[in-house]
Amino acid sequence: MIKGWIGDVADRTSGSSISSSPLSLGFILLSLVVIYTASTFPEEGTLGPGFFPMLISVGIIVFAAIDLLNETETELEMTELDFRSPAVVLGLLVAYVFLMPITGFLVGSMLFLPVFLYYSNIRSKPTLIALSIGLPILLFYIFGRIFLVRLPEGIIPFSRLLPRLPLGVMF
Amino acid sequence: MVFEYIVQGFVNVMDPFVIGLMILGISLGILMGSIPGMTATMTIAVLLSFTFTMEPAHGMMLLLGIYGGAVYAGSIPAILIRTPGTPSAAATIFDGYPLSQKGEAGRAIRVSTVSSFVGGVISVFALMFFSPVIANAALRFRSPEFFALAVFGLTIIASVSGDSLTKGMISGLLGMLVASIGIDPITGFHRFTFDIPELLTGVEFIAVMIGLFGIAEGLRKYSEGIDENQEKVDQDISGLLPSLSDIRAIAPVSTASGVLGALVGAIPGAGGDIAAFITYNEATRWLKNATPSFGDGNIRGVAAAESGNNASTGGALIPTLTLGIPGDSVSAILIGALLVHDVNPGPGLYKDEPVLLYTIFVGFLIIYVFILLFGLLGANYWAKIINIPKQFLWPIILLLCVIGAIALRGNLFDAWVMLGAGLLGYVMRLRGYPLAPMVLGLILAPIAEVNLRRSLALSGGSLDIFLGSPLALLILLLSVLTILLPTARALRGTA
Repeated sequence: MIKGWIGDVADRTSGSSISSSPLSLGFILLSLVVIYTASTFPEEGTLGPGFFPMLISVGIIVFAAIDLLNETETELEMTELDFRSPAVVLGLLVAYVFLMPITGFLVGSMLFLPVFLYYSNIRSKPTLIALSIGLPILLFYIFGRIFLVRLPEGIIPFSRLLPRLPLGVMF
Repeated sequence: MVFEYIVQGFVNVMDPFVIGLMILGISLGILMGSIPGMTATMTIAVLLSFTFTMEPAHGMMLLLGIYGGAVYAGSIPAILIRTPGTPSAAATIFDGYPLSQKGEAGRAIRVSTVSSFVGGVISVFALMFFSPVIANAALRFRSPEFFALAVFGLTIIASVSGDSLTKGMISGLLGMLVASIGIDPITGFHRFTFDIPELLTGVEFIAVMIGLFGIAEGLRKYSEGIDENQEKVDQDISGLLPSLSDIRAIAPVSTASGVLGALVGAIPGAGGDIAAFITYNEATRWLKNATPSFGDGNIRGVAAAESGNNASTGGALIPTLTLGIPGDSVSAILIGALLVHDVNPGPGLYKDEPVLLYTIFVGFLIIYVFILLFGLLGANYWAKIINIPKQFLWPIILLLCVIGAIALRGNLFDAWVMLGAGLLGYVMRLRGYPLAPMVLGLILAPIAEVNLRRSLALSGGSLDIFLGSPLALLILLLSVLTILLPTARALRGTA
């Protein structure tokens, strides 16, 4: 039984199985970097600040190595998945957050929400317009005015033009 | 004393604002739970930011409303279109869908509603009864026991995290690694902060959760196709109450499944999906000669699964509130919600915040009464939610993820952390890594590290301190078994 298993593992340690597990390899490399960095931490007390990160990293290396050796059919069927759409969506999200110091939350959301909606195949103009204008304003009032979260205002603080809520009357 | 707290909790809950929050939470939970692909975990992660400025008890009522509502409503699409609304409704399909095919969808939904109520109520009573006992015992815990508990929490989630133990462990350990960023809790040394001031207090783990459960799920949905055609619901659900004969048929199985579901839910790491599979399986063993047989549309199958998964909700709160060890991924997020308000879940909570705790207990009980009412009165409408086009929900969820991360501390850094976690979570899910262990790792790592280092500081570096505590030793042994048993089974399977 054990012999068979070892043979099986040996078969799977060929180049193809390793290239199919770039994540496990990545985690091993990350752990090595963490161990190296943590080894430069000062030794204080019984266990220094580097002990636990090193312990965890060793754990990751052990399990990632087992994962590399045991790589079987746990991977999902990836051929049917479309990778362009999530890349575009993530790219849009990065641009949205990146530009927020310039556009501010309110204007930024009004600019990006219609793009997200259009990309999600929403073609009805009334829906696109109502959601893209209404939702950012609603969220701005909830978070900016009621919860008093400091939302980015942008270079031109358009959000200050919105009327104040009569909170004194409400509460 | 306890009676006073219950009364105080009841008074707190009977506030129109709090009732409004519960109803809002239940409605949102039912809405999202009815839509396949939108889980309770995601809904709570995405909407958590709305509770940051609320009183802890008020925020918890909104979140628990979503939790109960979503776990209940997951059964509706499971019965009608054979697709669970949330993972915990997967076992409801076995008998729910055959009933629907026979034209008895309304009957199945009514049975599911009543059983969800029964399971939920039993679990809240279990929570009320067991929590003080466990918290009281845990008050005597010292560092070795807490370290052992944290290790146990991590190993058990890995062992129940889907197909791969190793991938679950890697996910959990990665979460622990992320948690080590920031000021070292013992020496004050800056670990992996790269001179970024926002990292001094560590990575905001709520930002990571929003990324893992909101953004990663969203990206996955876009991969699969945002507007895929889903079966439409065309049945009309008429009638309000289940028949007396149905109630008589499901009463014993709902009650037993409620007790078992609450116990399973209380095991750290075992959520509603596992609870429902276990209670369904047990029901098929108890009632071997049931007619119609299980799988052919027996209402007792629906009752067992639905009572079981709803009972896991209160069960999951037991270790969450008494030990600070999450019972499932939703309760991990609830820990985050409490920590935002400087409320530390754990044995001390009973001493420090008894009124908050009993408000949560009484509130959760009333939430299940509302779920019963809403479920029976509105079944026909909830069923129609499944037909709503949902492409427009995903852009809104993405926007809510971003604002949720910004609302944490009012800066954009957490939004970047959230997006990074989202990308990592998406890639990991594609490769078959479960994400729930990562969240547990994030929460459990500080408990494990501080208590390990304190224990060893007490013993002068000797591991004997763990041998000196029979309880810590027992828990550590259990942890080793939890990892070794599935591994041995997997090895036997491959050999």
